[in-house]
Amino acid sequence: MTPRVLVVIPAHDEQASLPGTLAEVHASAPSVDVLVVDDGSRDTTAAVARASGVRVVSHPVNLGVGGALQTGFRWACEHDYDIVVQLDADGQHDPGYLEALLAPVVAGRCDVSIGSRFVSSTGYRAPWNRRLGMLLFSGVVRLALGRPIYDTTSGFRAYARRVIEVCQWDFPKDFPDAPLLIALARRGFRLEEVPVVMRERTAGQSFYTLGKQLYYPYKNLLASLMALIRKPV
Amino acid sequence: MFFLSRTQVITALGAVLLALYVLELVRRRRLSEEYSLLWVIATGVIAILGFSTPLLTWITRTLGFLGESSTTFAFGLAFSLAMLLYHSIKQSRLTSDNQALARELALLRDEVETLRQAGDGASR
Repeated sequence: MTPRVLVVIPAHDEQASLPGTLAEVHASAPSVDVLVVDDGSRDTTAAVARASGVRVVSHPVNLGVGGALQTGFRWACEHDYDIVVQLDADGQHDPGYLEALLAPVVAGRCDVSIGSRFVSSTGYRAPWNRRLGMLLFSGVVRLALGRPIYDTTSGFRAYARRVIEVCQWDFPKDFPDAPLLIALARRGFRLEEVPVVMRERTAGQSFYTLGKQLYYPYKNLLASLMALIRKPV
Repeated sequence: MFFLSRTQVITALGAVLLALYVLELVRRRRLSEEYSLLWVIATGVIAILGFSTPLLTWITRTLGFLGESSTTFAFGLAFSLAMLLYHSIKQSRLTSDNQALARELALLRDEVETLRQAGDGASR
């Protein structure tokens, strides 16, 4: 039996890049369903997505990328999906890698697969501050779990049903990165990285704005520590 | 009657006025009883410290503050901090409640629209 796969795309003011992303997903994986979570957009994101023929759930207010994903998980659970793939609206993630990302989860080798820019040379070059942050948090994860996850900030992941069931009730609001991975691993879920190549965003605004650049390391260090000492529910 | 310094009188009167205002806010339902509790305790303690010189002096000596006014300020500051922390906790809770509500609303709206479309399709 083939698993039912749902691609969840959190979108906040992404009317410019969304049609291209949706067309690409449809072209490379026509059989998977797509849910766009319109996270309180002020532009025509929801209408644009509906016009492409995908399902849309609209938040009345902006909840952040983690909040949008959690809605996707809730929706997936209520509609009996087996696997959720998280994919950015901005065109950073090439849906051509969907199959490679899904393979280990479908085969049952892991519960969460992470599309990673760093497991093999994928030619990704980030600005120095991003690189420093990525290095720091993959170090934090290595310290916490005893084994490395190189790309903690990757927003291109596939989650198995048992992970979705947990995440639909408990998911980080703002940055679902290192602390989430630590918490999931401590719950006994198996994580695996799959090499992917990511592109530059095509349009719109990154979730990681200047103000958040200061808050991000503080929050994620604290949350990582909490994920480590908190009793996994 | 002990001698009350001018600072003490001002502090105590200020505390009493604030307490009365808090109670008035509760009466007009602008402030819930729950939130008024900390305020009433805080203003009450400050007022007592202001009016009772022996108590104020005793606390100042015992805790080793440099002056009576420092004691009053220390209590006031302690209450302000308690209040701020309490509000931060409340606000965190409200934020996550609000998130959950927004999410459930979005999911319900999706479901209503789906059902409505199915109904339209069936009646046609």
